[in-house]
Amino acid sequence: MVIRALLKPNTYYDSITLMSVAMAAKDLPGVEDIGAVMATAVNLELLLNANLMPAAFLAKQQTPPGSEDLLLVVRAIDDAHAEAALAVAEERLTSRADHGTTSRDEILPARSLDMALKRDEAANLAVITVAGEHAWLEAEQALRYGLHVFLFSDNVPVEQEKRLKALAMSKGLLLMGPDCGTAIINGVGLGFSNVVPRGSIGIVGASGTGMQQLICLVAAAGMGISQAIGTGGRDLSEAIGGVMMRSGLELLANDEQTKVIVLVSKPPAERVAREILLAAQIKKPVVVVFLGADPESFSSVAGNAHMARTLTGGAELAVSLSGGDRLRIPGKDALNKYDLAKERAKLASSQRYIRALYSGGTLCDEAMLLLSELLGPIASNIPLRPEWALAAGERFRGHTALDLGSDEFTRGRPHPMIDPTISLQYLERAADDPETAVILLDIVLGFCTQQNPASVFSPAIIHAREKAKVAGRSLPVIISLCGTEGDPQRLSLQRTALEAAGAMVFESNEVAASAAALLASDVMLQS
Amino acid sequence: MAVSFIAEDYSRPIQPLFSHGAQVGIVHSVFKKATNITFNETLLALLSDELPRMPNSVRLRSVVTDELLPKMQPGMEVYVGNDALIIPSCDFSLFLSNAPVWEPRPDVSAYKWNNETVAKHTRLLTQFLAKKQLQDGLAPLVEVLFHKQSLQETPLLHMAMPKLRLLAQASWRQNIAGIEEATRGLAGLGPGLTPSGDDVLCGFAAIMKLLSPQLSSDSQSRKHIASIIATVAKPRTTNVSAVLLEHASRGEVAEQFGSLLLTLRLPAEECKTVLKAADRAQAFGASSGGDTLLGMLLGLRALEGEID
Repeated sequence: MVIRALLKPNTYYDSITLMSVAMAAKDLPGVEDIGAVMATAVNLELLLNANLMPAAFLAKQQTPPGSEDLLLVVRAIDDAHAEAALAVAEERLTSRADHGTTSRDEILPARSLDMALKRDEAANLAVITVAGEHAWLEAEQALRYGLHVFLFSDNVPVEQEKRLKALAMSKGLLLMGPDCGTAIINGVGLGFSNVVPRGSIGIVGASGTGMQQLICLVAAAGMGISQAIGTGGRDLSEAIGGVMMRSGLELLANDEQTKVIVLVSKPPAERVAREILLAAQIKKPVVVVFLGADPESFSSVAGNAHMARTLTGGAELAVSLSGGDRLRIPGKDALNKYDLAKERAKLASSQRYIRALYSGGTLCDEAMLLLSELLGPIASNIPLRPEWALAAGERFRGHTALDLGSDEFTRGRPHPMIDPTISLQYLERAADDPETAVILLDIVLGFCTQQNPASVFSPAIIHAREKAKVAGRSLPVIISLCGTEGDPQRLSLQRTALEAAGAMVFESNEVAASAAALLASDVMLQS
Repeated sequence: MAVSFIAEDYSRPIQPLFSHGAQVGIVHSVFKKATNITFNETLLALLSDELPRMPNSVRLRSVVTDELLPKMQPGMEVYVGNDALIIPSCDFSLFLSNAPVWEPRPDVSAYKWNNETVAKHTRLLTQFLAKKQLQDGLAPLVEVLFHKQSLQETPLLHMAMPKLRLLAQASWRQNIAGIEEATRGLAGLGPGLTPSGDDVLCGFAAIMKLLSPQLSSDSQSRKHIASIIATVAKPRTTNVSAVLLEHASRGEVAEQFGSLLLTLRLPAEECKTVLKAADRAQAFGASSGGDTLLGMLLGLRALEGEID
């Protein structure tokens, strides 16, 4: 009779596993008894009482086993049977424990700030995309490490944003966000970003898709971007005070590569807008696009700043000021590509309203601003005026523009720039409505968005138009296509496929909205 | 990209671990549906919501644990604090946020307790446990302790039997030295990560803490016995057991044992409810359920008076 043992320090298995392993080993030929216990003092006594005490084995151990160590003991007729039983027991334990453990030789991905910084001490920017409610924790940690932060997460409380931005300022760092959709830093795109060449135009924006529209139009003119710094959509609110836009402006003012600066924001707080304009009185040309704000109202403080009413207008100014050809930007001339009068003539008398379906909030804002000037009230879930708000459950009311990327549509599902399901649903609903004169929708290309939006939207557009035709209606579909030839989806491929499906495609959102207005009414556009 | 989750629920005693400043812990052990993480003197259990709540648990949806646990290894660093638990190597963040808080201490004060009724339930439960004819752990001793039946002794049962009897006797007599001696003999005894002797002590300590004021036939509280047991056992057993004993000494027990304990207030006619709860409690683990139930029954018996 021999007693052999195996000690596994700091090893834990549940009782069911240990018992089944012990029973399997005990059934082996030549095995008299087996024990599998944590090496507590009383369990050693138990082994002694059970004639399983591996005294010689324990005497050889440099450190006596303790209550956190697993002790496997076999009493068998000879060495060979004992060792075989131990081998079986250990093999069974190992296979049971193996639910995908990582090999010690395999390098774990460096995903914590600590680990990443240890591996690359030169890193100076953190991208944070964790759940918004708690994203500030990560952002604060990154700032304290001395990293710039791109904070993609939304739903960060405004108090936390204010605090984080104060911390960033005190350390001379950028806090891009929260809810920062895009940025291009030293040629590297972050978030929903487009592929554009590097150049001399720098952008600071409190608007994700607004920046993307500017960047793509600049790229269409053959120009490039030096830096595109996002600030988060609330930066120019009264609560935040434009802290990061001023900081970005200062950085670009001192950046040698940047020759022209563009500032872009959704409607800002008036006081903050004035402060930003004062800060923009620098030597470099600064183009300012404060959507929804009448440039005339800021004439007293605009000074050297070049005010633009639309994103396309802002891009045209920036390209001109950089020495480029503004006519290369696909502007209102693109309207001549399609016979809008003919399309309008095909509409039935019931078809009176525009139904705009946007995934980009700023693009939706811009369209509403233009359309309301031309057509009057635009109902929306993000209305320009409170009285234009859609009621709960109300899909369309007269001219309607929906931001399908807003919280009420994205709760529990991906953003429509990533997953177009909600856009397709509303496309069908709008198409089925006999009052719909034209459907206007945006498609944004670039990293992180759908891989091939045309493959999804083209069949849907064909189906919608055919269905309308059966019902005796013509159904024009206008697409505001934001992207570049360098984007993974390729602008020209998407355009061709969408046009083949019968859609009218414009790269300028302003022009797309104008085309929709022309189809829905007898409006005259300003040249 | 980091993945963040909100807990399904969590046990009230672990709340301070999350609400205080950040501290570092390590993964202690990983199982198919659960993992234990040590922080200084305590141990947190991350459980699948398929498992019953533990006094030291945070539960996650099973789809999350199914994804997370295979990636975890003992020794990994874990950060807790500021409402979050972060496992950097697994790119995992957990937040308590507004997850429901579960109270592991049964609210015994909300009910009236009748000694005779509880005694009837105790007898019913000893028969229930005996009929199960459990082979593992210490539960087979229910026959010897309560029904004066003989039993084929194993070395484990042989060692445990006199200590269990001593525990009950010494507790009734409030003989501290006897309680300590019994605890020393039972702590860390038997197979498993929570050895059988510890499971018995957990059940016994919880009864002392929660019901001794209401049920001691001499009307004397024996709450302090629970603390003695936890203190004496701590250096003699595994970390997991020590933490669970610490909870038990405060009257904090796993969900199924708390539910069973509260059914003891029900009138004798509701014995089916009691047995149903006992069935759930006994089914826990390989032998832990039966062992803890044995400890509870031994505690209830000790409160009735002198043991032969």
